[in-house]
Amino acid sequence: MKFGIFYELSVPRPFAPGVERAVYENALEQVRLADELGFDFVWAVEHHFLEEYSHCSAPELFLTACAMQTTRIRVGHGAVVCVPAMNHPIRIAERAAVLDILSGGRLELGTARSSTWTELAGFQIDPDTTKQTWDETIRALPRMWTEERFSWQGTSFSVPERAILPKPVQQPHPPLWVTVTSPGTELDAAERGIGCLGVAAASFKEQERRTREYHRRIQSCAPIGAVNERVATLNFLYCHEDQAEAARTGLGMLGAFGQANAHLLFTREAYPTRAYGSLANLAPAPARREGSPGDPSGIPEGMAVGDPDRIVRAIKEWESIGVDGVNFLLNAMESIPQEKVLASLRLFAREVMPAFRGRAA
Amino acid sequence: MLAGTADLAALARRAPRLAGFDGEPLVIPGAELLQATWELGGLAPEAAFPPALFPTLPVLAVLSVRRADAGPLGPFRMAELRLSCRSGVRPRQLLVASFAEGEAARAALNERFAFGALPARVRLERFYDRVEASVERDGARVLELGGAGPLPLAAGDLQFFSSVHAADTPNGLRLVQIDGELAVARAERAEPRLARFDAAAFGLPGARLAHPVAAFVAVGDWTLPRIRFVSRADLPAFAGTERVS
Repeated sequence: MKFGIFYELSVPRPFAPGVERAVYENALEQVRLADELGFDFVWAVEHHFLEEYSHCSAPELFLTACAMQTTRIRVGHGAVVCVPAMNHPIRIAERAAVLDILSGGRLELGTARSSTWTELAGFQIDPDTTKQTWDETIRALPRMWTEERFSWQGTSFSVPERAILPKPVQQPHPPLWVTVTSPGTELDAAERGIGCLGVAAASFKEQERRTREYHRRIQSCAPIGAVNERVATLNFLYCHEDQAEAARTGLGMLGAFGQANAHLLFTREAYPTRAYGSLANLAPAPARREGSPGDPSGIPEGMAVGDPDRIVRAIKEWESIGVDGVNFLLNAMESIPQEKVLASLRLFAREVMPAFRGRAA
Repeated sequence: MLAGTADLAALARRAPRLAGFDGEPLVIPGAELLQATWELGGLAPEAAFPPALFPTLPVLAVLSVRRADAGPLGPFRMAELRLSCRSGVRPRQLLVASFAEGEAARAALNERFAFGALPARVRLERFYDRVEASVERDGARVLELGGAGPLPLAAGDLQFFSSVHAADTPNGLRLVQIDGELAVARAERAEPRLARFDAAAFGLPGARLAHPVAAFVAVGDWTLPRIRFVSRADLPAFAGTERVS
């Protein structure tokens, strides 16, 4: 089981001078600590225009800073939006290669096509075309990284023969992933032989179904590059010795995430199309309250919120259904003070990680 | 988080009277709908909403023009402007203004579902290559819009959201949740076209329809079920929601 930390870089209002900088500096401090503690990945999303929810519009720069301040943790550029109006495929390949070089071969590249009307319309992108442009881009990337000179005649972009430079350090190329928000994308990942990067909360039952289908389908995939057969899910982390305190603080974080998420305008809500599914709030649904069979603490199923024993049990369950990695949001809207976030990371590394690795961090 | 900042006293003054919550459900068979959407400009996103609601970013201005040639209310036409928002985390559309032609229908929709529709001449006309609609109020054109080049869609490609109507109810000023449903028999997507929009006539002086999003045309049975929930306009949904049936 691999553990990662995952950044949307949410920024609470009011947007006073220095607030965004503080969010970035807090995140970098968390990344340095996570590197020391033995976390495997740091992921950063790409979002544009999503006020409060995510001020992470240039993740490759943030991740370069992460790479420069760490020695071991892998940097997950996840996910870069593979739509030429937002990121030309050549620029994706070039930036990724540079990040792979600067990080010493620690890059993981997540791919996506954006799910909000806010972002697509902001770049004048036709929602009906994004799946096709994503597909074309991810098929081109391994060739751009591995061929001395590359040319492409496609639908969404074309390029005469050119040397795409530099080349990445990792051979044959950095691992590729796709973010999975809507059911069915796990099959897109499997068919192309790339990793499945969950970015929306899913129940154990739903994740088990998706994971099973993914592993079944990838056995007969037509790989677009080096096969990356891995499934990672998104989770929230708040670990504290006292379960009640953990629940109180952790649920506050989930609530803050859900509220920021509520402003998002998903594509399907604005634009009638079969190219995008209907998405609800990306926050996990609350657990049932007292008097029902659910968790009386109100912590949603599978969330890594609680004392170490509770979190170990939750992650064991993810492990039992075939998930290879869990990526954690550590904070949302800065609802948890930085010292508590760092303490949560330390406690997780000391009490939870050994249950999966047999070693203390 | 951005919550609505609209003045509640002003909202209360404009709110139509809803005498009770026990209005019988309505089914309007074969209703035709042109719905065209723009991103709203000219106003701060939170300005048009009461504190109970949160704007989407951007706010969508959803213009709907309906035509019913038969049914329990007789023939009528109506036009509505709604704005995209959230009640708690749930997607909703706040009704800002509506107009109706067909007096019996207008009265019934106002009394039972708090549309607050003003009398007007409303037109919805289908051509081979476009759909056109207009609203004329007190002799002045306040809306001319259309959908060009309609192309077939599957019924499931459309999404509809519950509306909230501010109303003077037996519980006081409330946001009444109207869970209207259209059982779509035919759907087409079209390019939105706008020739005239009088923002003041629609209760949003200073607003602009800033960026076209999409339009669609649909035909189907329009159901307005019994009112189930209302919520206070001054409190978030988790604290201010009341079940009324």
